[in-house]
Amino acid sequence: MAVPVEEAIAALSTFSLEDEQPEIQGPAIWVSAEPGATNSPIEYSDVSAYRLSLSEDTKALNQLNTLIQEGKEMGSVLYTYRSCVKALPQLPESMKHSQADLYMETYQVLDLEMSRLREIQRWQSSAASKLAADMQRFSRPERRINGPSITHLWSMLKLLDILVQLDHLKNAKASIPNDFSWYKRTFTQVSVQWQDVDTMREELDDLQIFLSTRWAILLNLHVEMFRVNNVEDILQVLIVFAVESLELDFALLFPERHILLRVLPVLVVLATSSEKDSESLYKRVKINRLINIFKNDPVIPAFPDLHLSPAAILKELSSYFQKFSSQTRLLTLPAPHELPLKEAQEYPATYQRQYLIVNHIGAIRAEHDDFSIRFASSVNQLLLLKSTESADAEWCKEVKGNVYDMVVEGFQLLSRWTARIWEQCAWKFSRPCKDAVSLEANEPLGSCSDYEKVVRYNYSAEERKALVELVSYIKSTAAMMQRCDTLVADALWETIHAEVQDFVQNTLAIMLRTTFRKKKDLSRILSDMRTLSADWMANTSKSEPELQSLQPGGEESKGNFFYPRPVAPTAAQVHCLQFLIYEVVSGGNLRKPGGLFGNSGSEIPVNDMKQLETFFYKLSFFLHMLDYTATLVTLSDLGFLWFREFYLESSRVIQFPIECSLPWMLVDHVLESHNAGLLERVLMPLDIYNDSAQQALVVLKQRFLYDEIEAEVDHCFDIFVSKLCESIFTYYKSWAASELLDPSFLFALDNGENFSIQPMRFTTLLKMTRVKLLGRTVDLRSLITERLNKVFRENLEFLFDRFESQDLCAIVELEKLLDVLKHAHELLSKDISIDSFDLMMNEMLENISLVSYSSRLASQIWSEMQNDFLPNFILCNTTQRFIRSSKVPSVSVQKPSVPYAKPNFYCGTQVRLNSAHQSFARLHSGFFGMPHMFSMVKLLGSRSLPWLIRALLDHISNKITTIEPMIMGLQEALPKSIGLLPFDGGVTGCMRLIKEQLNWGKKSELKAEVLRGIKEIGSTLYWIGLLDIALRELDTTHFMQTAPWLGMIPGADGQIMQAQDGGVSPIVNLFKSATAAIVSNPICASPMSFHTMAKQAEAADLLYKANINTGSILEYALAFTSAALDKYCSKWSATPKTGFIDITTSKDFYRIYSGLQIGYVEESVQMSSPSHEVLGDSVAWGGCTIMYLLGQQLHFELFDFSYQVLNVAEVEGVSHTHKNPPSLQGWEALLEALKKARRLNNHVFSMLKARCPLEDKTACAIKQSGAPLHRIKFENTVSAFETLPQKGA
Amino acid sequence: MARAGGITNAVNVGIAVQADWENREFISHISLNVRRLFDFLVQFEATTKSKLASLNEKLDLLEHRLELLEVQVGTASANPALFNT
Repeated sequence: MAVPVEEAIAALSTFSLEDEQPEIQGPAIWVSAEPGATNSPIEYSDVSAYRLSLSEDTKALNQLNTLIQEGKEMGSVLYTYRSCVKALPQLPESMKHSQADLYMETYQVLDLEMSRLREIQRWQSSAASKLAADMQRFSRPERRINGPSITHLWSMLKLLDILVQLDHLKNAKASIPNDFSWYKRTFTQVSVQWQDVDTMREELDDLQIFLSTRWAILLNLHVEMFRVNNVEDILQVLIVFAVESLELDFALLFPERHILLRVLPVLVVLATSSEKDSESLYKRVKINRLINIFKNDPVIPAFPDLHLSPAAILKELSSYFQKFSSQTRLLTLPAPHELPLKEAQEYPATYQRQYLIVNHIGAIRAEHDDFSIRFASSVNQLLLLKSTESADAEWCKEVKGNVYDMVVEGFQLLSRWTARIWEQCAWKFSRPCKDAVSLEANEPLGSCSDYEKVVRYNYSAEERKALVELVSYIKSTAAMMQRCDTLVADALWETIHAEVQDFVQNTLAIMLRTTFRKKKDLSRILSDMRTLSADWMANTSKSEPELQSLQPGGEESKGNFFYPRPVAPTAAQVHCLQFLIYEVVSGGNLRKPGGLFGNSGSEIPVNDMKQLETFFYKLSFFLHMLDYTATLVTLSDLGFLWFREFYLESSRVIQFPIECSLPWMLVDHVLESHNAGLLERVLMPLDIYNDSAQQALVVLKQRFLYDEIEAEVDHCFDIFVSKLCESIFTYYKSWAASELLDPSFLFALDNGENFSIQPMRFTTLLKMTRVKLLGRTVDLRSLITERLNKVFRENLEFLFDRFESQDLCAIVELEKLLDVLKHAHELLSKDISIDSFDLMMNEMLENISLVSYSSRLASQIWSEMQNDFLPNFILCNTTQRFIRSSKVPSVSVQKPSVPYAKPNFYCGTQVRLNSAHQSFARLHSGFFGMPHMFSMVKLLGSRSLPWLIRALLDHISNKITTIEPMIMGLQEALPKSIGLLPFDGGVTGCMRLIKEQLNWGKKSELKAEVLRGIKEIGSTLYWIGLLDIALRELDTTHFMQTAPWLGMIPGADGQIMQAQDGGVSPIVNLFKSATAAIVSNPICASPMSFHTMAKQAEAADLLYKANINTGSILEYALAFTSAALDKYCSKWSATPKTGFIDITTSKDFYRIYSGLQIGYVEESVQMSSPSHEVLGDSVAWGGCTIMYLLGQQLHFELFDFSYQVLNVAEVEGVSHTHKNPPSLQGWEALLEALKKARRLNNHVFSMLKARCPLEDKTACAIKQSGAPLHRIKFENTVSAFETLPQKGA
Repeated sequence: MARAGGITNAVNVGIAVQADWENREFISHISLNVRRLFDFLVQFEATTKSKLASLNEKLDLLEHRLELLEVQVGTASANPALFNT
């Protein structure tokens, strides 16, 4: 049939639907999930068309099916029943008078609930009588109606199962009798005013008996059944059918298998409890077969958190059924909870091995891997076949048959796996853990509820892992099969069609010709089977020649040939076929001894029997295949793992915390275990919630359950996302931290591998843009992005907080940690698009404004320098380091305490990584030197550095202003005239003279102040010197990188020369020629952008050229200082009136400094060093710089007291020939210190001469008269520095 | 052995069954293709959603950048004096 629909659909596949999301969730969208074959949607009304006189059977069958539906609803009402007594209000004392009203209200509320129970009571009695009547009608030996068919038998079993479950549930639910007694009490109170309450009371008593009697439903059924004493036959048939199906275990999916297991003990009890002797049963089914079945499955799941045990049922029922109690062999079966007591060694171990998934997971894994590969390859074959024109019929059949086999195998695997989970659950529920403390030692045993004992503490880590694995196998296999639903559908139909036609057209034909030729009855049934399902014309759609080529041998040799049609038999056809096969083998006699197919005295040969049997069981599996999606839904439904209504009731709580919830436990386990293999399955357990929500709405039909699930999912998912983000962040931080460690050092290290990290793959999770959760679609990727953006900012904030709580030396650590963070960001950016690091950095540095040059870090560094560094750190000229002075600072610095943070805010969770980075940081925490300067330059960048320099320069000029009045004071304190030191007194005389002259009078307290001021100026200048070195290095690197592009080449004299290339630098040339080449090509779409690029190259050329000759910060700072000093030039460097050098009366700065210097050198010698510790080498830097800039270097070198003393000592030393002249004794230490000071001063002066050459100008500034011009006005003024950003900006 | 029933009018039933096979071929063909159409739509929705998600992601990034630029422009235009020189 050429339908254009097909072409239209095929055309859809030309759309490209590429999807980047990996498949790591279970199947989600079921286009059709209603069973259409296993349950006939038209209630087998088409069966009558086949004229098999099955109308009575069909009617009865439909009646039973309706009852099954109703019964399921009753079951869910009963299962989800929650006691409402607890919610009833108590009346306070003050309202006792309205007690009657309360009773009335309570009665009305409870009446609603009780009416449901009453309904169940009514339903069960009608169901029991209908089932009994049905059995009686269809089991008369002198039968006049056809039936029961196999479908009918199944319906009987299912209804029986429903009744058993209801009974079991009624027994287990303690809240129902409880609620009922309340109801009865209120009824007595309320009904006082009513008239005519007798019928109601009677009804109430009935209900009470029903509710309080154990196994009331079963007892009732028993009474109904044996009212007329002839149901044993059908019970025996049912038992035989159940036992044979269970033993064969081919066509059964797990729900059916569980039904049979649950029903079988009850059937046995019913069958042996009649008046007749039970021996006839054991003639048909050996008792050992029954015992074996019961022993193999000691625990059978019934409801999600309620299990059944055949042994326990048999034992309990024996007290209700007198006859049965004599069946001692069945009664001695051990119940599961008795197992450890009786056979502690043997049984539990065996069962434990059987029930626990852990013991099978290896095999399951192999099965799964093997199956997925073969399934995928068979589907690929199918695709290949579909894309091939005119495929060979044999190949076609083979490929499709292969697909069919794979689907069968898939269903069986899924069924086995899901059954394993059900059974493990039931097993766990039957064996609560004894020592709850074993998992979490801090929690006492007494505090945990029963549910925690059976779930939370009952699964070890290994078991959780196995469960996660199995859940994900089930879900992923189901998803895989569901995806190709419409692809394989017609192949499946075709194969089924072929199977059926092969059987009815070929196998049956042979049978009819041979074995059944003489048997009229049986051959009539066989030909009926052919009539009702044969598709004789299936080959007519093919053209004749093709047919002939396909069919060379003719009919006789090869049997009937038929061309497979992609149409499956209907449910009714399968139903009828099964019925007829059953008729053939049983001969329509219920009392036929032996089993269904395994009979001995039949007239049918073994070979034919085998064929019939195989086809019979295949037929029942066809139905599952036809309901492809519905079967997949059933087989992959794991929703039961969440439900716990029974335990909720027995624990008397409203709901359990999510830690007790199995789905969440699994998710949590995946996150906590840090197992790279499990990580990609983390979303699978969340599918359990999808299933259970579906069950709550569709099966149990309870809104409140859905609400509870939804609330739990909301909560869980939030925790899940936050935990996931944390582990992602931690992992990437650790990775970055381990990559940033020096690799060559690690290589040399013995335990270097300790610092490497376990690789994890988050990439798949990071690609999840559509996580399906309770019908919603959640964009996990964007949630993660959002959170990571936040975490990165928090981490930055923390690092800056941490830096602010430490001193300036911590800047190296800060840089290191920022590097780790930045590298983590870089690694993470490959997988997910988070905000750029610079943006976040700027945001955290409060540095976004275009007009602000300061930043959080810069101002912190500045305030740290002002308050702590400059006053409290001292310089060591030799090591080029500043260290903290040992003296207690005059101003104690207030700092916030170091904030606490999780280890992932440092270098990830690994202790080793953190300690490695910490010990590196500790190396730099005690001083401030070049490494710190490099870190600072890197962190502040070209944006904030000028701001900081400006602040420092302002600080210098402020300090000068501050010490100016003090200097004035000291100048006043100097004696009128100070001559040169006389040589005749020797060192001792000199020192005495100095002491007399420099006692400073009252102003001596100014001395320390001035020294401190000079020290700070010196420190600042030295600091700027260090900065200068750091910047020079950066500039050089920069230059090396840009020079080749700008066409810089070294000239003959070592100068930089511009390459003569027509005046254009290589970079401009390159871009220009590239643009010209591209634009000339006609294919070029947008020449404009290339022109823009060429223009940009020119701009870059200009910019970079301008930056080549940057000035020196230090020179700049010195020029600035000199300009700042100009103001005081007249006071500190008075021009002598005579025009010649003023020796005795000069009060210039050098004289003051000279006095101060010898004073503190002497002090430091006397007090054995503390003074030096306080001031360090920067005093010399400060003092010498000021003198140098004031042009007083030569004066100082001539007239400095200490130099003079040294000169005197030298002369003295020369005049005395022997080593230690007596006059120098006692002064060695002082002289040594003075010499050291002189060396330092000389160093400073030579530095200054190199960086800020003033002397040329000074030297040439000698007047005609020969008198030197004391100071040449340096061209810089403070106003020339206004281009630097202001401190306040 | 008393057996009730058996197909009473085998020939007619056979013809009807044959017709039924053919009708059902048409039905299953149509229904399968309708399901394929649905499948396509479902898949289309899924891919569209992920494309939208990636678009959304890009927009988010742009939005953040734009916010930053707005703030920067705001700070600059709050100090017009800077641009007068």
